[in-house]
Amino acid sequence: MTDAQLIGIAQYAVVKAPDNLCCLGLGSCVAVFLYDPNAKIGGVAHILLPKAPNGRSPDAKYADTGIRLLLTKLVERGADRRRVRAKLVGGAQMFKNLDISMSDIGKDNLAQSRKTLMEMGIRVVAQEVGGDRGRSAYFSMEDGMVTIKAAFSDELRI
Amino acid sequence: MAEDDANRALEIIREFANIGAGNAATALASLLDMELVNEVTSCTLLPISEMAEWLGGEDQVVAGTYTQLCGDLRSGVLVVFPHESARTLVRHLSNEDTKLSDLSQIQTSAICEVGNICLCWYLVAVSKMIDTDLIPAPPGATVDLLGAVLDIPLATLGATVDHVIAVHTVFKGVDKVFEGYFLMLPENKMLETIMEKMGDSTG
Repeated sequence: MTDAQLIGIAQYAVVKAPDNLCCLGLGSCVAVFLYDPNAKIGGVAHILLPKAPNGRSPDAKYADTGIRLLLTKLVERGADRRRVRAKLVGGAQMFKNLDISMSDIGKDNLAQSRKTLMEMGIRVVAQEVGGDRGRSAYFSMEDGMVTIKAAFSDELRI
Repeated sequence: MAEDDANRALEIIREFANIGAGNAATALASLLDMELVNEVTSCTLLPISEMAEWLGGEDQVVAGTYTQLCGDLRSGVLVVFPHESARTLVRHLSNEDTKLSDLSQIQTSAICEVGNICLCWYLVAVSKMIDTDLIPAPPGATVDLLGAVLDIPLATLGATVDHVIAVHTVFKGVDKVFEGYFLMLPENKMLETIMEKMGDSTG
């Protein structure tokens, strides 16, 4: 999948097969993948933080606003929201010893992502989350599979 | 930032980058027990969003050491060794040619400590130039994908930091070369202080 479109931090995108998407080097960030298997339409939001300070944001920087935005765009593109399923990748804790009065951002990102998805009635069907390693994720619109490569472990498909 | 300001900032950065790199080279020469000279090959002021690209892309494995400053002047501080440089350092420190994927805990600690020492010596250079004590919190370190290493600085400082001070240094020994990146993510007040105080001292 060399032709996958790279989605950076705070960005989102919706594409249809045969196009593909990827997010590289997810640490505490969470990639939320949404997919409609019948329409072969999918999208990703590359989430950096859990909650938008004023409840509004034009991009996918925050889980609470970004995931809603992604679903809206997915439906606009022709996906049926009743068929849309979610997969989650990322949310690691990269610097365990770092004690600067900050919470575990990865964990908070995951919790808010799950909460927002639940509120929207979107089921999480697979995930590769937590731990202390970074991950790159490649999302195929042909079958909705997400291929995950971590720095030092074997490829994983969810 | 206006062009004049940016140019002036760059001159100031070059000044402390050279001193910081010199400090770091001296400290590393002692730690690694080898002759070491340094050259600052480039330094720049980057928008925070371009940091990953400047460092060569999110998908490479690097050794990263990160901390934040405590006190009034807030800033993130990050030292990154690219893949080959990290291997060179591990090989020299442990006398074993180990892939980064197979590092033992003690080897990981060693490479992280090298990052910690570099980080502190660059900070000393900044601290002296602005005549202000800068106290780093104990750093965290990891060997992982660059994108993942950058997530925490971006998540914790992305809202209050616009520009990154980025320095690239090549360290040369008799038969070894390695390179390192020193990155400072100052909140705007910190960046203003640096500009003000260093601007005075350099005329």
